[in-house]
Amino acid sequence: MSAETADIKIPAAAIDRSYLHDGTSLKSWLLTTDHKRIAILYFASITAFFFLGGAAAALVRLNLVTPQGLLGSPETYNRLFTLHGVVMVWFFLVPAVPVTLGNFIIPLMIGARDLAFPRLNLFSWYLFMLGGAITLWALFIGGVDTGWTFYTPLSTAYSKGHVALAAVGIFVAGFSSIATGLNFIITIHRLRAPGLTWYRLPVFIWSMYSLSVLLVLATPVLAITLLLMLLERLFHIGVFDPAVGGDPLLFQHLFWFYSHPAVYMMILPGFGVVSEIIPAFARRPIFGYKFLVWASVTIAVLSFFVWGHHMFVAGTSVYSAVLFSILSYLVAVPSAIKVFNWLGTLHKGYIHFDAPMLYALGFIGLFTIGGVTGLWVAALAADVHLTQTYFVVAHFHYIMVGGMVSAYFGGLHYWWPKITGRMYPEAWARIAALVMFIGFNLTFFPQFILGYLGMPRRYATYAPEFQVLNVLSSAGSTILAAAYLLPLAYLIWSLLHGKRAPQNPWRATGLEWQTPSPPPTVNFIATPHVTQGPYAYAPPAEEPPPREAHE
Amino acid sequence: MDSLQPEARAQIVRLVKSWVWIMCLGAIEFSLALLPVPHTFRPLIMLPGLAMIAGVAMFFMEVNRGPTIVRAFAVAALFWLFVLLVLGSCDPFTRTDYKVAPAPASGSALDGAVSMAIMPVSDM
Amino acid sequence: MNSTAASVGFQYRNRADQHEAALTGMWLFLATEVLFFGGLLFCFVVGRHANPLAFDAAARETALWAGTVNTVLLLTSSLAYAAGIVFMRAGNSRRLMHCCWPALALGGAFIALKFGVEWPGDIAQHLFPAAASFKIGGALEGGARLFFVFYFVSTGLHGLHMLIGVALVIWIMLRARRGEFSAHYHTPVVMVGLYWSFVDIVWLTLYPMIYLVGRG
Repeated sequence: MSAETADIKIPAAAIDRSYLHDGTSLKSWLLTTDHKRIAILYFASITAFFFLGGAAAALVRLNLVTPQGLLGSPETYNRLFTLHGVVMVWFFLVPAVPVTLGNFIIPLMIGARDLAFPRLNLFSWYLFMLGGAITLWALFIGGVDTGWTFYTPLSTAYSKGHVALAAVGIFVAGFSSIATGLNFIITIHRLRAPGLTWYRLPVFIWSMYSLSVLLVLATPVLAITLLLMLLERLFHIGVFDPAVGGDPLLFQHLFWFYSHPAVYMMILPGFGVVSEIIPAFARRPIFGYKFLVWASVTIAVLSFFVWGHHMFVAGTSVYSAVLFSILSYLVAVPSAIKVFNWLGTLHKGYIHFDAPMLYALGFIGLFTIGGVTGLWVAALAADVHLTQTYFVVAHFHYIMVGGMVSAYFGGLHYWWPKITGRMYPEAWARIAALVMFIGFNLTFFPQFILGYLGMPRRYATYAPEFQVLNVLSSAGSTILAAAYLLPLAYLIWSLLHGKRAPQNPWRATGLEWQTPSPPPTVNFIATPHVTQGPYAYAPPAEEPPPREAHE
Repeated sequence: MDSLQPEARAQIVRLVKSWVWIMCLGAIEFSLALLPVPHTFRPLIMLPGLAMIAGVAMFFMEVNRGPTIVRAFAVAALFWLFVLLVLGSCDPFTRTDYKVAPAPASGSALDGAVSMAIMPVSDM
Repeated sequence: MNSTAASVGFQYRNRADQHEAALTGMWLFLATEVLFFGGLLFCFVVGRHANPLAFDAAARETALWAGTVNTVLLLTSSLAYAAGIVFMRAGNSRRLMHCCWPALALGGAFIALKFGVEWPGDIAQHLFPAAASFKIGGALEGGARLFFVFYFVSTGLHGLHMLIGVALVIWIMLRARRGEFSAHYHTPVVMVGLYWSFVDIVWLTLYPMIYLVGRG
């Protein structure tokens, strides 16, 4: 060992015990710098936010059971859908996979012992919690009624809600995102195991890298936007006020410059997770690895070029609208390529319908529907009719919920054995996946029709002829809620009573499966050396099934 | 500079020389600003400023030293800034803005907004 | 090797590896700052396009002498700190301190000039955009107020970054005095230098936009 490595100290406990048992005090959890423990801290927070946002959604759907609005108050309704949007976007979807699965799996997958900046990682959790606390405080002392998009002049001049406080909370949470993205990028650049060249990295890593580029470059623009909105609200300066020479569309440009990449921040991790699950449960190498890789990178770049499609009817210039429409069609191409890659991987594969695979398959179908309907709203003429209707709501929920949440649950189940050292009950997991698929479609497919028929979004009441579809949608949401509560129940059960997981329960490739379940603090006792590409599955005839026996 | 190794001394001299160059660029930028350049071209006055920024990055921050990825990050930052400014300007620069009645003297946003007399936008 | 130097995290191969990671990380952080200030620049570009005469009228009210002196102060401060890094690389902690003092003083002078002289002067001249009465009236008032919104927000944010920078330089000086840096390990010194010079770069962007472009 050279003098240069002389002061790298690895405590014995970091090697011979799982990370779950390396210190059991509260302090050892709250002051941990272990990426795995930080991932667990985030899991708890993310889960709480998910159910909070879900509860708001349940109340929204409850209200929409009758045309007059069951809850009675449009003000309350506005605050509910704002709470739902704010919590789900910034405190669930954007962080979900990166801070839980990303934090846990990335170092394992690249053969590293931790992230590049472990203390920054812990700090980012505290920032997230602080931002969350401030935002929740705003939402609970009376809430915000502007929608998660905070459009001016409602947010800056007319809203009586707690806009400023909510903006501060989101501002703080944004720095958490930037810190996470920065950590991931540097980690992937510098901490890869020997032999792990860029083209040997699993697609999940490429997806997380692309996501991180979005996090670090787009979120600062959100920060300055929220700051300016805050200043305008508090000091009545006129940055977005046309009466003083300002421009309300300037807010929308700045806001969507972040928020469009934000939706890609939400879905890219989902792409990554699905790209890991499918080869493992089809027992085949991924089809068109480089296409998947470069599609992720292209999405990361192109996603910055399309934000104007949220503003087609806001009063932007026609020339700008045409340009953004063309660019929006372009950005769909790499996503479509990915779908073909996944289907190509399944083709002639030896498919096993374990729960992660069910979620991944659901993702492919639902994401495709969501993506294709995105093309409809990207067409200028169609968008004039469809914008601000339930069509758009259905479009993004197919991607975010049908796609991203399915992928999150898929990844959760896939890596659950690695993270907790326990197997979840397979039968219940499959039931939950199927119930989710059914409940999701029942909730959101009617909304495509409603939007097409002209039902506007963000209205507490609606024309009576829309009631049947609304009731169907609300009924679906109860099934969806059950599908989300099921995993909560059986995953917690599995922590206590689940079968102990072997090192590689799925017989999957990937460095994360080359270490015990759950891993020791130091991840790898000896640094792994990589000599082959990812997804090195043998031909189907020779490849054993993912598990020895189903439960 | 008494007990200085020759290499360190050379680096300090290089730093001071680059400072002088940056100052000269600053002087040029300042002088350009005093010239009667028409309104549309006045942003070009910033060009020497961009050169000054490059100088600070190259000589004070040593962007050329260190791993390649550092230069990639610097280029990426500038590229994305460019996208924001240029693609973002597409709409404001090609849009037709309709005149709004000026705000009353109090300058309050609420008053101004209420007294706006906007002509409706005819199409998208 | 100094025994009080920070130990290397166990995810790194060696100290040099950790240094490169820190360097890369700091540059990436500065890239995020480019986008942060970039959003403000975008507001300026849009505002200037919509209110050309008002922006020029407002720009003429800025204190050119103060902006120019501040530019010189900041550039010289950057030079001083960069020189300090050269000395530190050669292992000379004492000379690093000797360079930090002028860097600190010049940075402090910038802050004093901007917030102690220029801002109060602007406010006294009724150039504060949120105030009831504003120096420029008539048709140009709205746009001129907008210019000064940009002025106060951008120089305010820049000043906040300067204050953080000053605190960081003081932190470096304290650590250097405790003998924590050596020729083999002085990563924080380089990190703070990058940040300090970057804050200078932000100023070099703001200076012409505020003081020079509109002064036709």
